Amino acid sequence: MKQQRFRFKLLALFLFGLFLLLAVYGGYSVLVYGNRWFASSKNPRVRAQKESVVAGSVLDRCGVVLASTDEEGNRVYQADESARRAIVHLLGDSQGQVANGVETFQTSYLYGFQSTFPELVALLLSGDARRGDDVTLCVDSRLCTVMAESFDAHPLSAGKRGAAVVLNYRTGEVLGMTSLPSFDPQNIAGTDPTGEPYWNRVTQSLYPPGSTFKIVTAAAALENLTGADALTMNCTGSLSVLGQTIRDYGGASHGTLTLKQAFTVSCNNAFTITALTVGDDALRGKAEDFGFGDNFLFRDLVVENSAYPTQNRTAFELAASGFGQSAIAATPLHMCMVAAAVANGGVMMEPRLLLGAISATGRSRSVGGERVYRTAMQPETAALLRDYMDAAVNAAGATGSRARVSGLTVCGKTGTAESSLNGEAISYGWFVGFLDDESLPFAVAVLVEDIGDGVGGGSVAAPIAGDIFTYLRDNVDRVTGSVAEMYR
Amino acid sequence: MKRRKRGGRPVGRDPGGLLSSVVMLFFGSAFLLLALRDMKWEGFALAAGVPAMIWLGTHVLPHLFPSDKLLLSLTNFLCALGVLVLYATSPGTAYRQVMYYGVGLVAMVLCVWMVRLVRSWRLPVVLLMPLSLGALLLPLVMGRETNGATNWIYLGPLSVQPSELVKISLLLILSFYMSRRRMLPWLLFSVCCLGVLMLQKDLGTALLYYGVTLLLCFASTGNLLLTGLGVAGGVGAAVMGYRMFAHVKKRVAIWRNPWADYENSGYQIVQGLMALASGGLIGVGLGLGTPTSIPVYETDFIFAVICEQFGLIFGVCVLLMYVALIWRGATIAMAARRSFHGLLAMGATLMLGLQTFVIIGGVIKLIPLTGVTMPFVSAGGSSLLSSMCLIGLLQGVDSLNDDDLDEDARIALVSD
Repeated sequence: MKQQRFRFKLLALFLFGLFLLLAVYGGYSVLVYGNRWFASSKNPRVRAQKESVVAGSVLDRCGVVLASTDEEGNRVYQADESARRAIVHLLGDSQGQVANGVETFQTSYLYGFQSTFPELVALLLSGDARRGDDVTLCVDSRLCTVMAESFDAHPLSAGKRGAAVVLNYRTGEVLGMTSLPSFDPQNIAGTDPTGEPYWNRVTQSLYPPGSTFKIVTAAAALENLTGADALTMNCTGSLSVLGQTIRDYGGASHGTLTLKQAFTVSCNNAFTITALTVGDDALRGKAEDFGFGDNFLFRDLVVENSAYPTQNRTAFELAASGFGQSAIAATPLHMCMVAAAVANGGVMMEPRLLLGAISATGRSRSVGGERVYRTAMQPETAALLRDYMDAAVNAAGATGSRARVSGLTVCGKTGTAESSLNGEAISYGWFVGFLDDESLPFAVAVLVEDIGDGVGGGSVAAPIAGDIFTYLRDNVDRVTGSVAEMYR
Repeated sequence: MKRRKRGGRPVGRDPGGLLSSVVMLFFGSAFLLLALRDMKWEGFALAAGVPAMIWLGTHVLPHLFPSDKLLLSLTNFLCALGVLVLYATSPGTAYRQVMYYGVGLVAMVLCVWMVRLVRSWRLPVVLLMPLSLGALLLPLVMGRETNGATNWIYLGPLSVQPSELVKISLLLILSFYMSRRRMLPWLLFSVCCLGVLMLQKDLGTALLYYGVTLLLCFASTGNLLLTGLGVAGGVGAAVMGYRMFAHVKKRVAIWRNPWADYENSGYQIVQGLMALASGGLIGVGLGLGTPTSIPVYETDFIFAVICEQFGLIFGVCVLLMYVALIWRGATIAMAARRSFHGLLAMGATLMLGLQTFVIIGGVIKLIPLTGVTMPFVSAGGSSLLSSMCLIGLLQGVDSLNDDDLDEDARIALVSD
């Protein structure tokens, strides 16, 4: 009987453990996934609330009203059509065509689900219509317009599909984001659906990162091979791995190179050798440090998960991974975070959109502050990579020279990636980089789709990045101060 | 020996009084609120009736037998909570539920007296075995499939779920043979029950029967090898079931990603998750929100309804009430003088605890969803009745424990 009593006690503890698991798991999943479940366009609760609540306005960091509700209850966006189009993917639209834009993902603020009990009672007594909270974003809407216009200003990228994003690498704030082709949220019925205009290419589209992934490969080499910085490799223009030939861009033969020189001229052969020397495990480990393969659960943004392939890892696949091919996939936002991590001493910040939210009665709501996403590499590695990326823009013969801007130090990396779509090879032009400037701590990623033969990221994406950097240089007040101060 | 007052409880350990007053006030005002919303006489009747039933359940019943008042308070609170959220979402169900609540209180008293009065369990147990198996088989003969499982029988206007009521006889049979160390009869009976439940595709109940049998076997024998074999057998059966049956595979797939087939198979659990998220920490308020968008919210997903209206913090409090209930149950089992009574009390505790875990775990997507009810709270007569009978078994054993203590005290007094 005594032993039986002891076992009864064990069983009771077992049941307590199960209940503890319920409470912990339930609390955890609601805290982490709650807003994703709630803000889903499929939630009937939101639909019901939308009929009875006047949605709040959305403002940018300078106080420009991006979206508001008019007297008749219709949603109104900016007056200028090109401005509306440039920011529509980030902002979303009233019909929910764009998945997880601010208009849908921030439902809990915009439609007053954050209202407290005293507020609801006061509202009931006053008899006014219920209003949602006004939301201020850290975005500069004019920058978004400049980014979209820059695509059209350069003949190589004019009319192409693409994406661009600007992050503050110290805080993680998203300063600008645009995706092409776009559509007009005031005229959804008249939208031409070719080219998936509702798709936010910055956060939802996965692309092969191409040579921009060399940042990760170089970081893996610097942290896993002793003296990697000083090692030299011989590039003969082509290299045979498992019977398949890896050629350099344009068939160039670079001769003897250090890792930094290989990075500057973006030599595929050298990075093939680097990847094979580092090995698949170390390269995957470093990619995971940078967030590849992670389930992104950012508070303000829903971002497609990046992938480092795990299957069919032959030597050829590994070699191709060294320069960002072989089923490696990332969103432009994630590649921007990769460049931002280099600029921020190896620390990757969580990308954020909300600066603040204010209730109809003027109460400021908590929207969560800046948060470190993860540490991607050691500070020494980041410092070395900063020099590499500096050289890749500013050295003689560097691939990213078109991103240079007078008066500022631009660091960056170009990329030209390939993937096959329906049996046809498509190439993508990339530029990721940042300003090495304490007063302008911004990182940029630009991607242009289907750039055609004989064109690389250096000639198609880098000039757009140059335009963005020029705008940042000329508008320091807009992009760093202003309305944002209210919330600090 | 502690000084004891009438009813056999030690002095100073009676949490019933103030607690149940607060509980009555809570439910009275909650029902009044809803009644004022609807302006229907039934609402006002409930506002008076439910507190009255709580009073009956916690203050009058203890006069019939020496009882554990905390256990009674918890039971009555959970039952009344069920009636409340049902009235807030679907009044018709609530009227039936309050009736079942009354019937359940009577059934509980009957179970208490059954445990107290039956001296020899040999004949009842032998009779119960074929009767229970027969009852379990009935739905296969005369039932029809509801929500993917064939576990109901329909007698005119009445629908009964035999597997709920057979729980009681399962516990009696298990504890009778386990306390006599005769393995074959209980093993045979359990395996037969599990087989029938599998045939009915009633996976949740099968899981419960299996879990309770296994854990009670461990409690009675302490034989790790036997328990390990049981676990291995269960895992083997689960893997085989997953391979062989499409409906098991589907359940697991929904659990892994309910959003993949949101419009069809994943709809229910996704709606449940949205309800949880909408409630947040403090809930949207009684009678508010849209919990009725969840399919079968009255039974399987009642916990999601509670969380949407009262919030996550209250949801955790409800979990704590079950934890308190389990704690009392285990205490009663440990205080039992006879192995049979100890196993009976522990079995009832395990049944209630596991059932709560299985359904709430399913709702919050911790484990694949299986359709069992949340004890005391979910709508449904069979379920409420069987849960009340389980409490009756616990109270019965507790009253016997108290009798034993009184006997000890008397003997001590005499020998002085």
